[in-house]
Amino acid sequence: MTNNDFNPDNLSFLLPVYYSRLFPYSQFHKWLSYGNPSNFQKREISFTLLGDVYIRYQSFDDEAEFAGQLCKKIPVKIDIGAVYSTKPKQRRLNTQITPVEKEIVFDIDMNDYDEVRNCCSGAEVCPKCWKFMVIACRILDGALEEDFGFKHKLWVFSGRRGIHCWVCDKEARKVNEEVRMALVEYLNVIKGGVNVNKRVSLPGDKIHTSIMRALKIINEYFDVIVEEQDIFGSEERFNNFLQIIDEDLRHSIKNAMKRGETSAEKWSIFETTFDDMLRKDAVPKHLKNLKEEIKLQYAYPRLDANVSIGMNHLLKSPFCVHPKTGKISIPFSINELNEFDPNNVCTIQGIIEDIDQYEIKSKEIKMETEEEDAKPQKVKDYEKTSLLSAIRVFEQFLDELDKDNRSSDQGNGVD
Amino acid sequence: MDTSVGRRKVHRNIYYTDAGSEYQHDVSMYKVPPSNSIYLEEFEELAVERLQLLRILEESSAKGHRVYSEDWKSYIKEELAKEGLKKFLRLASGYCSQTELDFQARKADYISHYILRVAYCRSETLRRWFVNRELEWFKLKFLAQSHQGFMKFLQLNDFTYTPIRPEVKEKLNHDLYTSTAIPDREFNTTDFFKVPFTEVLPLVKGRKVFLKQGYAYIPTSDLIVCILSQFRASLNESLLKFNSYLPRLDDDRIGNLLENLHYIHTGDVSYEDTQDALNPANLDSYAKQFFPLCMSTLFNVLKTQHHLKHFGRLSLLLFLKGIGLSLENTMELWRNEFTKNPKIDSNTFEKQYAYLVRHSFGQAGARVSYSPHSCLKIIMSNVGQGEYHGCPFKTWDPVYLKQKLTELGLGSQAVTSIVESASGGHYQVACTKCFEGNYGQAPASSINHPNQYFSEAVKLVKEKQEKKH
Repeated sequence: MTNNDFNPDNLSFLLPVYYSRLFPYSQFHKWLSYGNPSNFQKREISFTLLGDVYIRYQSFDDEAEFAGQLCKKIPVKIDIGAVYSTKPKQRRLNTQITPVEKEIVFDIDMNDYDEVRNCCSGAEVCPKCWKFMVIACRILDGALEEDFGFKHKLWVFSGRRGIHCWVCDKEARKVNEEVRMALVEYLNVIKGGVNVNKRVSLPGDKIHTSIMRALKIINEYFDVIVEEQDIFGSEERFNNFLQIIDEDLRHSIKNAMKRGETSAEKWSIFETTFDDMLRKDAVPKHLKNLKEEIKLQYAYPRLDANVSIGMNHLLKSPFCVHPKTGKISIPFSINELNEFDPNNVCTIQGIIEDIDQYEIKSKEIKMETEEEDAKPQKVKDYEKTSLLSAIRVFEQFLDELDKDNRSSDQGNGVD
Repeated sequence: MDTSVGRRKVHRNIYYTDAGSEYQHDVSMYKVPPSNSIYLEEFEELAVERLQLLRILEESSAKGHRVYSEDWKSYIKEELAKEGLKKFLRLASGYCSQTELDFQARKADYISHYILRVAYCRSETLRRWFVNRELEWFKLKFLAQSHQGFMKFLQLNDFTYTPIRPEVKEKLNHDLYTSTAIPDREFNTTDFFKVPFTEVLPLVKGRKVFLKQGYAYIPTSDLIVCILSQFRASLNESLLKFNSYLPRLDDDRIGNLLENLHYIHTGDVSYEDTQDALNPANLDSYAKQFFPLCMSTLFNVLKTQHHLKHFGRLSLLLFLKGIGLSLENTMELWRNEFTKNPKIDSNTFEKQYAYLVRHSFGQAGARVSYSPHSCLKIIMSNVGQGEYHGCPFKTWDPVYLKQKLTELGLGSQAVTSIVESASGGHYQVACTKCFEGNYGQAPASSINHPNQYFSEAVKLVKEKQEKKH
């Protein structure tokens, strides 16, 4: 099943089937409860209905109410907000309610790589540019785990061309916006907007441990990226690269690099030329890390800071259906990152067809074996589809969360 | 604070000799509110003196001195001497001795700090201003201390930090070295302390500290960051508490003073909202003539690309509102420009863009009329992928800045000087120079608000035209 088969006009009759038979309600409810149902009840969950009608500040008392409303309203998009001090649905009009808890979330969008990717643009994505996402995942995961000690990260494919990360550790959910801002600035290496050429700066001789870790990851992919993206493949790309380099060094580097034919050759000439300059002490002190700075500028994750900082910021929920591609926003395991293919993600149409296929097949099997008195096994609908593996990833994530939750409860019991 | 003193009650012997623990050190966490009675005159005097102190701190930064740099400190000390604020000057010098003069200085510091807490707890803006100044003052005193003074401060305030064991330091040696911003020569001798990363956010922000599993490993010289963050937290908390007590404080002798303190004889430099409505027909020429660089950039992007990302939209919207463009005219401008964008039809515009305009004018959502962003806010804002907002003097490449300024017709000398200020981190100084370059005269006070830039520019040009006639 490829996504070419998906026709957005079919959403209005596919979505009711998806919500009534396939959406993993119990796991979803378990997740946002974090061991205590009131967490779920005070969570803002907003809907976008067909025709761009937004309904904000909804909340649901239990799994049944949530499921009932999904099936009734059939939203094309579900967003998750913060946990508030009171149930968002009970807030009075024009009064502010304050968020008290929220996962630390990250949103990485392929769009933001348009200046460095040349294989696709806009909403498209292919295995070549997906490498940027792989790098982003690995770098973020490493920093969150090793630097900040966060263990429970839910990685989710956004449905088209990006990824989301939900950091769900108890400590992470509780921190205020000031802490979130500091954390994001720590992780945010690429600075500046449109009118800045050199966007990474590592002054001094030393490079921070966290950046070194990121560089190690980038190095695994960088040569391939140079070739696949053909980063010097046009006059414009080559010039953009040269703009990053300080005026004083630019001329001699440019002349040397012109000797190279392919992007790979040019890059390797750049590296040797620059190393040469370093040896001859021809590089000012604040530019000594230029090679590293350039690699980071080309491949370090581009974070949307505002999504991560604002506690009341909404982020699309896992298991949403992307209205344009029909793809399900599925959780994936960081260990299977290299095999993840965004073009092969199951679509709503695909998984609904999976159910039919399954039923036809099981009937055939029944006929063949003619075991008519065999007890019909109770199989959940999603277990008949290619959505199953994503739900298993989600369940495993919940198990780990549960384990930690229980052991910390026991810890409290002893006190 | 006990403000229920009788009108003419006299207490001559206020603690000098039996000075409570509050007065034993130049650097105070101001933990306990003072309970002594003072003359009304003294109360007023102390309040105004501290306000002068805080204004001087602010001025020093506004003059372009980097906070905590030697220039910054010496400017403050000079001004304190000039204004005759000897007690504060004494505390800024780090003697930390135990003479009568020291106690008097500390007492004045302590009481005046609390008086201003009452004056500044009233609004979010006042609180923020006050907390930032107090933090600067705290750190200024702190930095002047000798090692001995530092140790004594830790002891008096029950700060117990235990350094990590040598074998742990040995094991983490490489990471600590590469990830900590201290001079090489100090690295081997300094102790390191393990604290939750949430206690040293400024270091985390700047990636100037080694983090492992949620803990920050900081050298002795960075303990100040921890202490400051605790001081800030307790001060913020106390200000909120004071604010909730305010309705009960009904004292006509000091009420008026406290309420208006921030605005007395201080030459408040914030801009005035333009009273006259702006004729939208003039907008294009005004943008060329009078907009500061940050706003003319946004305006040009709006006009040429017919799109701006959220914070760019917000920033420009509020600025335009501040210079007197009405809601209707703003909406029209927005609609005209955004719908020229092939991706936005009028339907999309109404759904996605019109709301923010109404919201900013207080006509939708929370119904708060927001004020235009100040330089500080603009400078501090994050500028990401595809965004044009923020302070150009901070966010632009020096090369690009140079080119743009030259295109705007500024002389090469002015351009060099502006780029130099910008590269040195003095963004507002750069902007002020830009103003001077454009209108041949410095603004009445240095630029700290885009709307101030605008109104001063308009005023100057009008004056010149009138002179000609």
